[in-house]
Amino acid sequence: MSRALADEMIEHCRAGRPNEACGMLGAKGGDIVRVFKMANALSSPVRYSLEPSEQLAVYNALDDQGWDLGGVFHSHTHTEAYPSPTDIRLASEDVPYLIVSLATEPAAIRAWRIVKSDWAAETGDIEEVPVTILGS
Amino acid sequence: MSVAVRIPTVFRKLTSGEARVQVAPGTIGDLIGQLESRYPGFKQQVMGDDGSLHRFINVYVNDEDIRYIGKLETETAEGDTVSLLPSVAGGANDGAIAEQGDAL
Repeated sequence: MSRALADEMIEHCRAGRPNEACGMLGAKGGDIVRVFKMANALSSPVRYSLEPSEQLAVYNALDDQGWDLGGVFHSHTHTEAYPSPTDIRLASEDVPYLIVSLATEPAAIRAWRIVKSDWAAETGDIEEVPVTILGS
Repeated sequence: MSVAVRIPTVFRKLTSGEARVQVAPGTIGDLIGQLESRYPGFKQQVMGDDGSLHRFINVYVNDEDIRYIGKLETETAEGDTVSLLPSVAGGANDGAIAEQGDAL
């Protein structure tokens, strides 16, 4: 993803503090082309949830543009950019989950694919997905 | 004309990668039945053993959340789009902050 899009994602996460922030990424041909900055329906420093109506609006926008869902992102305000058991338990979409850690300066971005036997399974395996930030 | 069902990424293994499939109009329950016939195992992914929708699945007919209209009995018509939305959530709550008793 471009430096500009990465910065847009980080700024949304910073603006959401002290709560976790979240959103989705639009992709075209495997490249991230859009950051959808979304509300945290839980307004919590340790949990996030997308509002379904806003999620639907993002899917509509993706369809309109002919883009794919490229990822889901959220922030960890005080912990590293590593999936928590909660992140694994509640993972649903089969796309990379990006975590923006604000525990360090500069913020750290890492991406993970969460592999579960069943999408509603409580546990699963994680595989890191390389994040390339162009122009940094 | 038919009803388009938007398939979330997590269920596309069942639909051979199809992101959108066409079904005949009917209730949401009927549509899930059609999807089960075409993609065995689909129903189990979106419904619980008690026959109700999985609690982590939200279903919209166009822009309407079926929880607030007819739930599984919600009727669809030709040209409608049905979206199956898995709940997207998580968070760091196993960390030190949660252990200090912050509200979740």
